[in-house]
Amino acid sequence: MTTTTDPVIQLEVGSGGGLIGASTPRKEDQRLLTGHGQFTDDLHVRGMLHAAFVRSPHAHARILGIDASEARALPGVVAVVTGEDLAKLTSPMVVSQEGAHPMVMETLPTAKVRFNGDPVACVIAVDRYVAEDAAELVDVDYEMLEPVLEMHAATDPGSPLVDEGLPSNLHTRQTKSYGDIETAFANADRVIETSFSSQRLTHVPIEGRGVLAIWDKGRAELSFHSGQQTAHVTRTLLAKRLGLSENQVRVISPDIGGAFGLKIPLFREELTVAAMAMTLDRPIKWAEDRAENLMASNHARDDSVSIQAAVAADGTILGIKAELWADYGAYAFYPPSYMIDVVGWLLLGAYKIENYEYTINVAITNKCPAGTLRAPMAIVTWATEGTVERIADELGLDAVAVRRRNMIRLEDQPYRSAPGYLYEALTLRESFDEALDRFDLEQFRRSQASARGEGRLLGVGLATVLEPTTYGSAWYKASGDEGSGHEAATVKVEPTGAINVMVGIIPSGQGYETTIAQVVAEALGSTTDNVAVRLGDTHIVPYGMGSRGSRGAAAGNGVAYLAALTARNKVLRIASHRLGVPIDSLTIVDGSIFVIDEAESRLSLADVAWMCYMDPTSLPATEAPGLEVHQTYDPPELTFSNASHVCVVEVFRDTGQVEILDYHVVEDAGTLINPMIVDGQIRGGVVMGIGQALYEESIYDDAGNNVTSSFVDYLIPTADCVPNIRIHHVETPNPNTPRGIKGMSEGPVQGGIASVALAVSDALKGLGVTVDQLPLHPSRILGYLRAAGAQDD
Amino acid sequence: MKPSPFDYHAPTQLSEAIGLLSELGDEAKLLSGGQSLVPLMNMRLARPEHVVDLNRVTGLSDLSVDQDRVRVGAMVRHRQLERSAELVAANPLVAAAASLIAHFQIRERGTIGGSLAHADPSAELPLVACLLDADIEAQGPSGVRRLTGSEFFTSVFTTQLDESEVLTGVAFRHLDPAEGWAFEEVARRHGDFAIVATAATTLFGEDGRYAAAGLAIAGVGAVPQRLDAISLVGELPSDRLWRSVAAEASSRISPQGDIHATAEDRHDLARTLIIRSLSRATQRAKGGDPR
Repeated sequence: MTTTTDPVIQLEVGSGGGLIGASTPRKEDQRLLTGHGQFTDDLHVRGMLHAAFVRSPHAHARILGIDASEARALPGVVAVVTGEDLAKLTSPMVVSQEGAHPMVMETLPTAKVRFNGDPVACVIAVDRYVAEDAAELVDVDYEMLEPVLEMHAATDPGSPLVDEGLPSNLHTRQTKSYGDIETAFANADRVIETSFSSQRLTHVPIEGRGVLAIWDKGRAELSFHSGQQTAHVTRTLLAKRLGLSENQVRVISPDIGGAFGLKIPLFREELTVAAMAMTLDRPIKWAEDRAENLMASNHARDDSVSIQAAVAADGTILGIKAELWADYGAYAFYPPSYMIDVVGWLLLGAYKIENYEYTINVAITNKCPAGTLRAPMAIVTWATEGTVERIADELGLDAVAVRRRNMIRLEDQPYRSAPGYLYEALTLRESFDEALDRFDLEQFRRSQASARGEGRLLGVGLATVLEPTTYGSAWYKASGDEGSGHEAATVKVEPTGAINVMVGIIPSGQGYETTIAQVVAEALGSTTDNVAVRLGDTHIVPYGMGSRGSRGAAAGNGVAYLAALTARNKVLRIASHRLGVPIDSLTIVDGSIFVIDEAESRLSLADVAWMCYMDPTSLPATEAPGLEVHQTYDPPELTFSNASHVCVVEVFRDTGQVEILDYHVVEDAGTLINPMIVDGQIRGGVVMGIGQALYEESIYDDAGNNVTSSFVDYLIPTADCVPNIRIHHVETPNPNTPRGIKGMSEGPVQGGIASVALAVSDALKGLGVTVDQLPLHPSRILGYLRAAGAQDD
Repeated sequence: MKPSPFDYHAPTQLSEAIGLLSELGDEAKLLSGGQSLVPLMNMRLARPEHVVDLNRVTGLSDLSVDQDRVRVGAMVRHRQLERSAELVAANPLVAAAASLIAHFQIRERGTIGGSLAHADPSAELPLVACLLDADIEAQGPSGVRRLTGSEFFTSVFTTQLDESEVLTGVAFRHLDPAEGWAFEEVARRHGDFAIVATAATTLFGEDGRYAAAGLAIAGVGAVPQRLDAISLVGELPSDRLWRSVAAEASSRISPQGDIHATAEDRHDLARTLIIRSLSRATQRAKGGDPR
């Protein structure tokens, strides 16, 4: 067996102990399912105070003055601080990027509130009850301003400015062009136009945000206990904004009850709590409540795609022009290029289209800021597949045939998309065919026709998903985003042979403690039980980029695997020296080192580990003592996986309700580490897609008040909304990643939205309505049916 | 999401609870199952200065069925209504309505007295109390008062109870063994508040025509409404008849819209549910769907 640490070479596909690819039960479940998990709000320390925030009741108002005297006088209140106070303790956040004006976000606003729920002051008190009582007593004098609530109107020259430091509410408008778009349109037999809009919604983790900040005065060190997806990056930002050295800050992410991209940025509330813990020299906790979570944690989506497709009469797509809009709300937590631009460069989907031009528009409005909800590009698959369906309809062609005519096949790859991304080992066409082998579309069309005869509305949605994963440092560089996509791991084989692994990714439900144990045990010839995985503590874990963008498998598990291989190499070099046999005659199985073809082990992993620490003079002269490996890995610019979704729905004429009758996913995420966990990611992602397609919506009234601040009004899918999801895996390894792992987890959201929305569209086909706005709730469906005169009675 | 400060009282006798209400007036609020009051307090939408907890008061939790009535103490939980074989036998409509309230964890705590006194315009038990003209008993400083289910609800979250009265129990008539019934509702998801709900009862004569019928609707106005004027009596059941009843009923309601359903949607849903409940109640009366 040979080992290498060169990350660009695919390593040992199909070798090893069979741990990679096994549906190993999750190691973390014992703790989490028996109530022994420890989340931020479970932490209690002596002398701990509690924070509550005073929030704006208005969408847009000038702060004329804040009188906290009554609040400060309430027994139990320790401090009340405002933006003016915090400006002395912290520095503001500035998001800047080429093509857009820098946006400044103060720790708490000093001049204006910009959305309903915007924090304006923070109360620190002996408990949360007193803190909330005092928050009510803080008297903020507001001068009401006209709210800016609609993204297109926001960019009108006469519109009031949300951010008076900017020249316009149009944060950016950028056009990118590839190929020869003019000729494509000049040569077209038809130009087909479509549009797709998604509602505003939010992340809704079971556990909201929160922090326990502890200032250790003796060591001059801040401990920041908080569920954070990117703990190291948070540490860097915290140190910078608090004026501390980075070695004075420790971020510890305990168990996280769901994150979905919410828990990436350094939010103003957490920063305020940290600054106040330092100032007061008292531990302070803040746990976001559900109303805060729904109103003032980041929102997402609220975007639209309008497409013009130049097509030949045979259904060949010659070129696409697209206009993309996104409403980023009141502040920029992310640069404009990230969220909406991803829709732009993915919009060609599974199809070979050479000529392409898209324009992104980002508007700033008086609504909660936008963030990276799992699959920021979520709308894209619906837009692409919906356009292909419309092309087929308008040309009188079969939509499956139009797809196949334009789809990228395995044999076309490596394929470079018009925006310049490299597709390799993708089974877009092949997985689509597999899905249609598993779902009998012709049979369904017959049932659909006979149901129509009885007045029932059945529909099917087909969606082929191109999912970007594992953004490498080259992607960050090319996109102009600050940051990197590399990842780091430390593997320590301790003197007794027990293994500790530290990786910079942070779990919020993805089962990393299991999958990392699997890949490390496989690489080192150990067992998953012998591997403990430690994540989320910046004092223990090497600096990594955390969990975002479906990078956990290829980057996070990948680097752990590579580090474990390096450790394995050292073990085998020592064993080879010790036993006097060639290194490639040795293997490790369940912690025992064997000479291949011998029945009895001559040495154990533990024996070698013991030598490394306790008897280093026995090691070969070239080996240093100890058995610890630190390794980093920078994945390719971008890795892709793919999937095909098939969804069958019934739309009820009499209530406008949609029921999902059948759901199939064919997923190609390359080599799977743990298929059970991947299945969980697929199901969870599809459910989020169903939520966006049918249920969830953050709604503002005409005055800019958020009217969906409780679970009575903000609806997430519950068990009765979710079908049995049938999953089939195709495993086509990526040639450029460790073990051919591709990663996945956002694509199922893209596919869920697209296949459900297209199924509803199909069910309503022929009624003369265009399904172009989510969510497809009963009220919208009843509206369509009324417009079509197609109600039950 | 913490309530504003309040004093908590835990009387064990009804007279004590009534005494507290008389003394504290509109600064006091009764706590029964807490499934509506506690969230409202946590959101500070309700901020009573005194909470008088009925959970330790004796004598309010009995469910009994006698020859012609089902008597339910105010503190009987929805889950008890749903699971009581005696109640299902005597009045399956009440049990069916209770089973549609929220999720079972909520039904384990929520009480019939709490639901009726809270008077949510789309709630299930107020609709049934209205349809069956239940006999509601309230006790105050000046003694016992009997109120009727069809007149009990006066507006959104408002009833005929005065601030020093405790709703102590409710009595429903039996359904006739030959009587058909139905409870139908549309909610966004299982367990959500109903957008519109309807309840119906039907009884047939020897001639196969309706001999008696009742129909009521919730979610389309401030209080549940009996659609008394609409009579099926003397008619033969038919889809056409139900549709005309539904159309007539729809013209008598003036629902308001909210983020889940517009006024127009509620008209549509009212028609749908009236047809469904009349059809279902007729089917049951004809023995098509035994209890």
